[in-house]
Amino acid sequence: MSTYPEKFRFGEFVGSIVWLVFIILILVTLIGLPLIFVVLFYAPLPPVGDQVLTPYLFLSMTVDPTRTLPIIKYFIHTDLFRIAAFPGFSYAALFAAVTIFVERKFLAKMQLRVGPLYAGKIEGIFQLLADGLKLVSKEIIVPSGADKPIFWAAPIAFVATAAAVTTLIPVAPGWVAANINVGLLAVFAILGFFPLIALLFSWASNSKYPFIGGLRALHQMIAFEIPFILSALSVVILAGSLNLTEIVNSQISSNWYILFLPISAFVFYISSLAELERIPFDLPEAESEIVAGWLTETSGMIYGLIQLGSYIKTYALAALFVVLFLGGWAGPVIFPAELTPGYTGVRIYNAITASAIFWFTIKTFGMIMLMLLPRGINPRIRIDILLHTGWYKLIVLAFINMFVALALVYGGILGPGGLLVR
Amino acid sequence: MAGETAASFAPILYMLGFGLLASIPALVLSRLISPRRRYNPVKFLPMECGQMPTGQGRSHFMMQYYAYILMFVVFDVISIFLFAWASSLFQIPRYATLPIIAFLGIMFASMGYALYLSGRKGIW
Repeated sequence: MSTYPEKFRFGEFVGSIVWLVFIILILVTLIGLPLIFVVLFYAPLPPVGDQVLTPYLFLSMTVDPTRTLPIIKYFIHTDLFRIAAFPGFSYAALFAAVTIFVERKFLAKMQLRVGPLYAGKIEGIFQLLADGLKLVSKEIIVPSGADKPIFWAAPIAFVATAAAVTTLIPVAPGWVAANINVGLLAVFAILGFFPLIALLFSWASNSKYPFIGGLRALHQMIAFEIPFILSALSVVILAGSLNLTEIVNSQISSNWYILFLPISAFVFYISSLAELERIPFDLPEAESEIVAGWLTETSGMIYGLIQLGSYIKTYALAALFVVLFLGGWAGPVIFPAELTPGYTGVRIYNAITASAIFWFTIKTFGMIMLMLLPRGINPRIRIDILLHTGWYKLIVLAFINMFVALALVYGGILGPGGLLVR
Repeated sequence: MAGETAASFAPILYMLGFGLLASIPALVLSRLISPRRRYNPVKFLPMECGQMPTGQGRSHFMMQYYAYILMFVVFDVISIFLFAWASSLFQIPRYATLPIIAFLGIMFASMGYALYLSGRKGIW
């Protein structure tokens, strides 16, 4: 029922936008550029190439395309780039966006539907953009009696926690934001926050369906936490380290661990489905039982942020599966530097890193597709069957493969000086 | 040394901060451009499928399967202990695995008994 204001004129609307752009341009020229210069003048600037960077040099180098390469080379090795862009947030968010679109088309094809079709000329390619605009422009309704600080903070915490997992994932040799010695345990520690956030949000929203959903999320995540941890234990036995980079290196020097530990890989896959609340384990969001579970009172951008966080979490867990069982970035070098057009002996990119990123992306995307697959073919399971699966079956399976790993190490097949270690 | 170990965790904290920086503007932007229509008391009621909500939102709930949560508190710690053994497996002598096998025996026995008790009806 939206109506235009009475005096609406399209010409005046365009005119106001032109004025706005004009004012912004003037502000940038008069305040922004001098401010940048002042900051660059006082900030300690690093040596780039063979000369120390000065503000004037910085600006002239960024404008001249033949001299931009050293600056780019410097900035992609800073911590900020690793966190904000490549192995960190933007890479994960890109994966999340692609996953959302691919999931819809993929499930539609599986169920003989067409999926999103109208936004954008080709196969509804702009559906994601349309959904984002819709979510941003919808009103956020906070239910009466809700605990407002927690209600607003929980989605933000969800996104930030999901993004924090991605800092620990090594994407290529040396390309990891936080290369710590207890990387695997740190991943488990951060994943332990999610049931807490779900429970806090459900409690804060002062409604009955979210509270039931939050309790279900708590039960489900703790029922599958122990098989999740124990399935990674056999990988640690074979690799002898908790550092994720060293786990990948030990797989490169022997073989992919999914060949030795298929049961552990299966347990890890099932329990990561449960951690992600995906069908068949989507009891916390069961839409035919408890409206939308712990997301019932979410609206607008709060819902959007929680969805973004859960898809970033999907990427993180698929990448963790690839790192633990599928050999991480292991694969042949398929982008040698000599292939670049106009190759004159100057290497623009590192061939090993480029191939590593390629293989890691391919494997992670395949793993995400495998995680989307059950949604098209499986019904939801009951909560007592879920608890029974987690506590009785998966734990036993994880222990079976732990003993297999122990036998492989003590039988002299893997481990230091083993038969299969190159 | 300890400072270096602590500093290697710093990117995780930076990432938490970056997550806040990336998601707070989304909420602020949404708050700026989304419509905020006039107050309607029905609109802000908790969702109960179109009915008027009865009672408090945060009332007492039947906490089923409580036994499993109690079990989690114990067995999560036990399974994390196993990581300390597994990550140093190449450095310790082979006979040091025997006490771990005994430890696993204790863990299996207690887990079996706990699962037997949590499966019984009428005591929870």
